[in-house]
Amino acid sequence: MTATAPSIADPYRQRFAEFLANRREPDSLTGLRRAAFARFESLGLPTRRQEAWRSTDLGPLQAVAWNLPTTAPVEVGSLPDLGQAAHRLVFVNGRYAPALSQGPALPDGVTVTRLSQAAASQTTLVESSLDQAPGLDRHPFAALNAAFWEDGAFVHLPRGAVLETPIHLIFVATGHDALIHPRLLAVLEDGAQATVVVEYRGQGRYLNAPVAELTIGDGAVLHYHQIQDESPQAFHLGAIGLRQGRDSQAQAHLFADGGQVTRTDLTALLDGEGAHCALDGLTLGHDSQYGDFHVRVEHAYPHGTSEQLFKSVLDGKAQAMFDGMIHVRPHAQKSDARQLSRNLLLSRQAQAHSIPRLEILADDVKCGHGSSTGFLDPDAEFYLRARGIPASAARALLVYAFANDNLNRIGLTPLRERLGQVLADRLALLDGDAR
Amino acid sequence: MLEIRNLHVTVEGREILQGIDLTIGPGEVHAIMGPNGSGKSTLANVIAGREGYTVTAGEVLFQGKNLLEMPPEVRACEGLFLAFQYPVEIPGVANLYFLKAAVNAVRKYRGEPPVDAMDFWDLIHERMELVKMDESMLKRSVNEGFSGGEKKRNEVFQMAVLQPYFAVLDETDSGLDIDALKVVADGVNALRNAERGFLVITHYQRLLDYIVPDVVHVLVNGRIARSGSKELALELEEQGYALYNEEPGRARRAAA
Ligand SMILES: Nc1ncnc2c1ncn2[C@@H]1O[C@H](COP(=O)(O)OP(=O)(O)OP(=O)(O)O)[C@@H](O)[C@H]1O
Ligand SMILES: [Mg+2]
Repeated sequence: MTATAPSIADPYRQRFAEFLANRREPDSLTGLRRAAFARFESLGLPTRRQEAWRSTDLGPLQAVAWNLPTTAPVEVGSLPDLGQAAHRLVFVNGRYAPALSQGPALPDGVTVTRLSQAAASQTTLVESSLDQAPGLDRHPFAALNAAFWEDGAFVHLPRGAVLETPIHLIFVATGHDALIHPRLLAVLEDGAQATVVVEYRGQGRYLNAPVAELTIGDGAVLHYHQIQDESPQAFHLGAIGLRQGRDSQAQAHLFADGGQVTRTDLTALLDGEGAHCALDGLTLGHDSQYGDFHVRVEHAYPHGTSEQLFKSVLDGKAQAMFDGMIHVRPHAQKSDARQLSRNLLLSRQAQAHSIPRLEILADDVKCGHGSSTGFLDPDAEFYLRARGIPASAARALLVYAFANDNLNRIGLTPLRERLGQVLADRLALLDGDAR
Repeated sequence: MLEIRNLHVTVEGREILQGIDLTIGPGEVHAIMGPNGSGKSTLANVIAGREGYTVTAGEVLFQGKNLLEMPPEVRACEGLFLAFQYPVEIPGVANLYFLKAAVNAVRKYRGEPPVDAMDFWDLIHERMELVKMDESMLKRSVNEGFSGGEKKRNEVFQMAVLQPYFAVLDETDSGLDIDALKVVADGVNALRNAERGFLVITHYQRLLDYIVPDVVHVLVNGRIARSGSKELALELEEQGYALYNEEPGRARRAAA
């Protein structure tokens, strides 16, 4: 026994050696992995002494001896359905599952495929795009993902291509203390339009460190949905990097329901004039779940607009963190940036933290932020009950009302309804055991 | 249908209602008038079942049942309605959705199936005309951003849709211009029949020109200082409550 606590960084080194030993891929790709691993080693695993990770307790992670995912066949159970036609790719423990994947024919020139395949057939495009998204360079788990990813999705839309059918990516994990590193690389050239739904789910204990790289060109439109429904024992430490061209429009709707300790770092770079992004998140926390969204919106050019709307509904001893940065670079005049964080506490032990950050280096901008945390309004509850609505239904209705404007932003009707049902089920469950 | 006997209520240790006796029969309209802080809303809230009030003595029976042991939603389902003095804003809950939830909650309590969509729509439209409410209000969140008058009108609208057996209106006329006041009165009068009872709390005699009460009570310092016919309201309008603001014994003598 040594006096210092074991760090999971050391096992990572060993795992990386094991991992490389079994790879068959172009040397150039392996080179990228080695560079990423070196980046991870220089960043180190985060500690609470680092400002960016102060709020996130990774202690429970240190106690686990993590492994590479099993190669044995596993049972994944039923998969979520988008309720409409979709280009579906399923990955189990980070590996492609062809039997579960399907989709209609793609328009000419559009690619929706597994990343490992794209790396072999479109090597130059993939290698030049990989690991370029904003925010990833500072993120240790994103560096680990860049070193360890086995597979994931590659989406490419050529200039002007419009993909009507949503892309549905499902990443399933099956426990075994596995380290899982799924990756999405989406490139929408100028004027292209697509909708992507990413779902994370699983059973047992694992550490999922996914990365989504989203690059959209001038005038492109992306609707990105992420549904985090990890198992109750799971850790989820993900990163999303979004780079937007001139006059492009991006929406990101994040829904966080599962996991033990979960965090998503989302960086949006408005990298052209007049780009617009709307980012929202809804965290449902119960028991002793910890759910964290770290958001950074960077206005790099004039006339960009951005909105952030992050909410949490917390029961039990759940905790939620929202840390949101608006950064406006000096010449990004006429930027308009909004941020709102709202938290609803359903129990006295639940806790919500909101940290708004503003770095406004231009002088002619509009910026607004606000945050609120509160309990259900007893007057509103009484008002509903005085009209005959039972107490439990009244509370559910109020929670629903609180979360509703986030759900309403989801354009895919069946998905919106499914998430509404998740919320409703959660409330029914909560009512059953709390009262 | 509503019997209140020797009702004593404290709020945060202070006795606000100091022995109320009040019996309202089917088809009757009673008005309660009284100075600010005399306990009118306290009485209304205790009848509706709001938390924060402690009944230290007395009882309230509604159609023979002990009202005080029912949760507020059961009282509503039993046919009791309170038009709030200060209607609550509920962002994110559309008025129409809220009304349907309320109607269906009451139906469920009575063992009836959920309301038929067409029937509900017809009822809503009919009642909306009665209170001259604009259809756009249905889509808006409950009371959110409503003017004072719109909120009061919305209370009467809800009452007209829910058709309770007994309704308490707590200053539903306050802050209304004469046209809005007539609308409120029309809403009440349309529901008036031989079975339904009303308790109308008001500061202004003029409401009682439109909703003509059977009995007027004067509530002062948590007691009913005097009860009489509708002429009592006119008298109060002229003389104010000065007569009653002394110690209760003298007030009663003065009334006699
Ligand atoms: N929730 C409460 N907490 C503390 N005091 C209260 C509360 N509710 C009522 N009171 C007090 O009880 C007394 C009676 O209040 P109530 O609202 O019943 O008066 P009211 O007759 O309706 O007056 P108004 O004409 O102004 O509406 C007042 O002194 C008020 O301050
Ligand atoms: Mg009052």
